[in-house]
Amino acid sequence: MPIITVYINGQKILTESGVTILEVCKANNIPMLTLCHLKGLHDIGACRLCLVEIEGVNRLLSGCTTQVADNMIIRTDTDRIKRYQRITVELFFAERNHVCAVCVANGNCELQQAGYAVGLDHIRYPFLYPECNVDTSHPWFVMDHNRCIMCTRCVRVCTQVEGAGNWGVMNRGHDVRIISDFNTPWGESITCTDCGKCVHACPTGAIWPKAVAQGQLTKYPEMIGELVEKRKLLQ
Amino acid sequence: MKRPFANASSGLSATDPRVKLLDTRMKKENFRPDALIEILHAAQNAYGYLPMPVLQHISNKLHIPPARVFSTVTFYHFFSLKSRGDHTCLVCTGTACYVKGAQQLLDAVEQSFGIKAGEVSADNKLGLQVARCIGACGLAPAVVIDEEVQAKTDGHQLVAIIHEKLEAL
Repeated sequence: MPIITVYINGQKILTESGVTILEVCKANNIPMLTLCHLKGLHDIGACRLCLVEIEGVNRLLSGCTTQVADNMIIRTDTDRIKRYQRITVELFFAERNHVCAVCVANGNCELQQAGYAVGLDHIRYPFLYPECNVDTSHPWFVMDHNRCIMCTRCVRVCTQVEGAGNWGVMNRGHDVRIISDFNTPWGESITCTDCGKCVHACPTGAIWPKAVAQGQLTKYPEMIGELVEKRKLLQ
Repeated sequence: MKRPFANASSGLSATDPRVKLLDTRMKKENFRPDALIEILHAAQNAYGYLPMPVLQHISNKLHIPPARVFSTVTFYHFFSLKSRGDHTCLVCTGTACYVKGAQQLLDAVEQSFGIKAGEVSADNKLGLQVARCIGACGLAPAVVIDEEVQAKTDGHQLVAIIHEKLEAL
């Protein structure tokens, strides 16, 4: 891989070509907000928190799906980006019924951390209060659609790492929901292997083990990336 | 907990001509997973909608997880999980048709046949649907009855045409 030069926030960085802007930022300790990104899974650029400004490009591009090019001038810290990031996080909270005080993931939630990172103190948009199910049919785990942000990390970890394909996404727009099999209860799934990878991949308290109480949930999303590396050795 | 990790039985009858047609189509596509949409089209045309056992059957044969089949079906408006009726009446409620009185047309059909938009009559003869815009704004208010466009209709005319269609069968 040829070595190329990119400029991030005015800082000159030498990097391999063929990597994403997010990877370069991570390697050089440049902070970048992410929610739908998880090491080991294919990036889809769904959460729009890693938006970057690139000189010569009018629109904002997602850092996790954009590859670096030679002499690319990238900014991750402009007022415009910060404003959009805050709007995005506010919309996440307004979209479903997120109540941190009663959530198992309170204090250990990536959405909550993103809220702190953008300095969220109130939400300017009307809450949608959609009617969402809580699927408790699985013997060990719970899927609470109220806390889901549709990052599809559970869907990707189930198809790309576990290979079972239990999870999917149904409908469009407001009505999108994560589904198990044919929108049937998780406990009746014919594909789920009960491996629990989706529990660790979930950034919020949407998927959690039944054995934990409010605010007691700990997740190890890094495990997924390590697992992917270890599985490469088997091939 | 017992889980049938092998494919769940779809419960379809192998002698059903529609199942045979579907199987032939899948064989023709070499059971490629990426032929999912073509197969779903064939199934929708054969059944008029997509019953759950058919989705399970397709999932088994193409080796696609059930969730992915369901995602595809719920994403595209062409596919339907419920029967749309033997005859369909699609009222356009796009801007031009709305201004020209699409709501009166809908009300007329709803009152005469006792069904609401998105519903099918109890005898499964007539299904009533609405669309945002069918791209025939010059014909406003436009209604599509069994793939036939009726231009510039009013409530009385429309109800008469539907009765005609229902009795024709």
